[in-house]
Amino acid sequence: MNGRLSRTLTYAAIAVVVVICLFPFWWMISLSLKQRVDIFAGFTLIPLHPTLDNYTTLFTAHHFGDFLTNSIVVVSLATILSLLIGAPAAYALARFRLSRKINDLGLMTALLVRIVPAILLVVPFYLALAQFGLLNSRLGLILCYTGINTSFVVWMMQSFFAEIPKEIEEAALVDGDTRFSAMRRVIMPLAAPGLAATAIFVVINTYNEFLIALTLTSNPDAQTIPVGISTLIGKTQIDWGPMAAAGVIGVIPVLIFTALAQRQIVRGLTMGAVK
Amino acid sequence: MAIPIPTRHDAAVAEGRGERAFPYLLLLPAAVALVLVSIFPLYMGIQASLTHYVFGRAVGGGGFTNYVNVFADQTFWDAMLLTARYVIVVLILETVLGLGLALLVNRELRFVQFFRMSIIAPMAVAPVAVGVIWRLMYSSDTGAIDPLFVALGQSAPAMLAHPDRAFWALVLVDTWEWTPLLFLLCLAGLQSLPQEPLEAARVDGAGPIRVFFEHTLPLLVPVLAVGVVLRLIDAIGTFDQIFVLTRGGPGTATQLISIYAYNTAFNFNQYGQGAAMLISLFVVVFALMMVVVRLMRRSPAAT
Repeated sequence: MNGRLSRTLTYAAIAVVVVICLFPFWWMISLSLKQRVDIFAGFTLIPLHPTLDNYTTLFTAHHFGDFLTNSIVVVSLATILSLLIGAPAAYALARFRLSRKINDLGLMTALLVRIVPAILLVVPFYLALAQFGLLNSRLGLILCYTGINTSFVVWMMQSFFAEIPKEIEEAALVDGDTRFSAMRRVIMPLAAPGLAATAIFVVINTYNEFLIALTLTSNPDAQTIPVGISTLIGKTQIDWGPMAAAGVIGVIPVLIFTALAQRQIVRGLTMGAVK
Repeated sequence: MAIPIPTRHDAAVAEGRGERAFPYLLLLPAAVALVLVSIFPLYMGIQASLTHYVFGRAVGGGGFTNYVNVFADQTFWDAMLLTARYVIVVLILETVLGLGLALLVNRELRFVQFFRMSIIAPMAVAPVAVGVIWRLMYSSDTGAIDPLFVALGQSAPAMLAHPDRAFWALVLVDTWEWTPLLFLLCLAGLQSLPQEPLEAARVDGAGPIRVFFEHTLPLLVPVLAVGVVLRLIDAIGTFDQIFVLTRGGPGTATQLISIYAYNTAFNFNQYGQGAAMLISLFVVVFALMMVVVRLMRRSPAAT
């Protein structure tokens, strides 16, 4: 085939794909900035009279301040805890041959928890938290997310640790470090980029999580942003402007993270198949 | 000369061996956490599925009554079949489109960063937000889809209001959201293939289509298998977008098993029956998980 023609066709096809991927986002952003009358005035790509009213409404009438606070508290604590719990385990699995195939078992358990659909967990989680009086609490959500995120951390971090040459910590041991101080002083700094990538991925996953939060919370004391968004969908009608604005609040942090850390996110989303 | 002199290195290694407990101490917290989100929920789920609930309260053992009721419930089987149909359709669409796209861009190109950024966006954002985005797109008040059809001289389809169309509307959303994943996997797969057999076939005069079906595809399938089965498991649990877009309606036209089980457990407080449905679904998912584990063992590179 003619090289130049096929190249042009390729770029044209890529342009179409980019438009298909991005146009729906633009449509939502544009709606979120439109005044109520303009929303119903027919098809316009750009808001004629841009306004932030839809955003203010969310915070004054729909508890989005509370949802945001809950999301920030839950996401940050669940991320920190899961890294503290998961990273050492990942290091152990990557570095030590343990007895009775524990390496294999540990990794497989992490994998299975990582891929199990959330719907399979919600009834047990709900009944367990009900027994401990932790329904509709941030603590309950933090516990559930920490457990699930630990599987992500173990799975991702062990591949990062495995990439660090063994000689480095052997040298540290020779220099008189204990196993623990070698891990803390030499290995963790080397694993920092991996740790950051894992943290970003866990933050996004937790911030996005909906079904578990939906079932375990019931009011703005503990509801997170995705659940807050779903409360805007009424039985009979939807206030489109605020809903679009809520959607924008839902995607903006994630899009920023994605722009900053594309490669890491791709690695997480594809379970490490794409580096 | 041959007398082994113990070095500091050997001493350190020996000391390392002495610290047998160290790796287990590192593993312990994670092991507890993982048990709490795997074996414990499984135990709780099985227990709930064997319990009789009235108005959301456990009132004693129910034996296998919940399972008997679930299996005698036509709506359950409808939801399972609909889920199967949904999963098969979206997987075929996403794999074919993802592979096509990957073949298209598998060459030196400019703007790769921007292209990758745009294509990751749909799968990186919250599925709930994806639901909102497409609710806005499909809406007859505010949407962009209806005006598009009208501009092309068709009648406005009102995708979400019509039972058959609502199913395809959800398929379209899923395809928009997840084709990028299959694209990335296919592209990585293509770039990892050995080039010699493909070159040899080309030199022998095989056309691009023959090269693809006789050489590229057979090499690609094992690389892709893990990704496809993972997407399959994920698709079986699709919930968030559907909850935002249709809640299983109109009627029960888009009531996948996840929506039906959720409604049973949390709208009607039938935790026992909901749990019985989910344990039944888990059997299917677990079988697929074992397939993933098998495939990963066979090609460790694919992890």
